[in-house]
Amino acid sequence: MTVCRLSGDAQPRLQGRETMIELRKVSKSFETRGRSVKALDTINLSVREHEFVALVGPSGCGKSTVLNMLAGLMDPSAGEVTYRGERVSGANRRVGYMTQKDTLLPWRTVEDNIRIALELRCRSSEAGERGARLREIIDLVGLNGFEKHYPSEISGGMRKRAALARMLIYEPETLLLDEPFGALDAQLKIIMQRELLRITRVRNMTVVFVTHDLAEAVTLADRVCVFSGRPGRIRAEREVLAAEPRDVVGMRFTPEFGALAEDLWNELKDDVGKELTT
Amino acid sequence: MTASAAPGKSAIPLATMLRSGIGLTIGRIAIAAALLAAWQIASGTIVPIFWISNPARILERLWSWAVSGSVWPHVYATILTTGLGYAIGGAIGAALGLVLGAWRRAERIVAPLIAALFCLPKIALLPLFVIAFGIDIESKVALVSVVVVFLVLYSTIDGVRDVDPDLIDALKLMGASRDEIVFKVILPSTLPWIYNGLRVAVSYALTTAVVGELLSSNRGIGYLIESSAARFDSTGVFAAVLVLVVLCVVVTEGLTLLERRALRHRS
Ligand SMILES: Nc1ncnc2c1ncn2[C@@H]1O[C@H](COP(=O)(O)OP(=O)(O)OP(=O)(O)O)[C@@H](O)[C@H]1O
Ligand SMILES: [Mg+2]
Repeated sequence: MTVCRLSGDAQPRLQGRETMIELRKVSKSFETRGRSVKALDTINLSVREHEFVALVGPSGCGKSTVLNMLAGLMDPSAGEVTYRGERVSGANRRVGYMTQKDTLLPWRTVEDNIRIALELRCRSSEAGERGARLREIIDLVGLNGFEKHYPSEISGGMRKRAALARMLIYEPETLLLDEPFGALDAQLKIIMQRELLRITRVRNMTVVFVTHDLAEAVTLADRVCVFSGRPGRIRAEREVLAAEPRDVVGMRFTPEFGALAEDLWNELKDDVGKELTT
Repeated sequence: MTASAAPGKSAIPLATMLRSGIGLTIGRIAIAAALLAAWQIASGTIVPIFWISNPARILERLWSWAVSGSVWPHVYATILTTGLGYAIGGAIGAALGLVLGAWRRAERIVAPLIAALFCLPKIALLPLFVIAFGIDIESKVALVSVVVVFLVLYSTIDGVRDVDPDLIDALKLMGASRDEIVFKVILPSTLPWIYNGLRVAVSYALTTAVVGELLSSNRGIGYLIESSAARFDSTGVFAAVLVLVVLCVVVTEGLTLLERRALRHRS
């Protein structure tokens, strides 16, 4: 795999880390109305502990399907998905999954939605501690003043942030994020990226992050995987080495960053829009 | 939210009609008065009193029922039958609907049975209930319960099917147990549907109670209508029907008020 060094003093972060997640020769087909659609074709992917992997690729290439299989919500048609060496079958409770479509409960306020993870998981934690954690996380995603609103009363970007807060509050060891910042404005996006990096580093979380934004992928990830169009395959992988802690704004202005983004774009461009022309 | 997908309500509440301007109100009163006057004049001249009685006699009868108190046990019996049957049927229907909705395999097993019972005119069960529970209100309570059970059951099953499976998956990943999924996702998401079934069931409950009383009973407004008719007492029949109209309006209006309060709470 090609290693791209974004700054001279960048050190590998993950040496000696064990494999956390592995997809071995995974294919996935869907049957819809008698027709079989092949979404993924023989994917091999492994993610190490504490690693931050970004998946990019044209729409419909199976990125969300990969996350669904990691979460145990879908089974592969062929091949094997393992988590910490064990085959994933049924809901994988060690991961936190922020889906492409937000899954907030419409009858609960923002605050009650974020709190639900604590109701389910940390049954033993004290009310006072929960309250403090809740305020801290609402602060972090910038939803102060909207705690008592219902999901139908806030914007799409705010719903995304609420979903993110709901996931971060219970600190799962692995995060699966499906275009979490797609609906945010540029400035907020940068703030959220910075916070996500900070939290995942502090908590030593493993992250699989789907995005359409190449700059975002390079900024955040230790490794970027480029998918081809349907049926999805992994077409290229780039390891990104950058000085820690990463400066999510500053690093964009280096020539190395631009070169890597361009390189990824070259891998991607043949497939993007292919569906439109054929 | 899913509530919008549930069938809506169409009846115009009485309160709204009354508020719709003095001119309209006067017009309505005038029409009612004209009809009553025509009835009063026609009876005994064009049509024999025996068939259609007349408004004066009916009012007189209502007055004497009210003064002697003889009508109240009947009104009470109908309200009690409707209320008990509604409560029992609603509770069973919602509980069964949640269980069957959440437990697909069981639902598939009993679905044909439920469909067959659903299309059966429930009134045909009345003789059975009378044999089992006697002529008193218990048999009518059973009949009303059965009618309400099916209405609420179907609406609840539809509601459970409408629950977004992604919400269930999301909670599962967060570590929710089966019970937690039922109480934190399925039930709240189904509530508007259950509520809708319950709302529709109110008028069915009242109708069923009265029809049951008409057919075989010893008390109730239905019984009052039936026993008056058996004595060829058209005045009594009209008076009893009028009592039923008033009861029906009171129930419907009460429901509308409750509903408004619930909506205000939600918004
Ligand atoms: N539940 C499903 N049933 C049938 N087909 C599905 C299902 N989920 C995904 N697919 C198909 O699999 C393919 C990949 O879908 P997927 O959602 O994984 O794409 P994606 O890479 O996430 O796309 P996007 O970037 O637009 O979100 C698509 O062609 C889609 O039609
Ligand atoms: Mg997707």
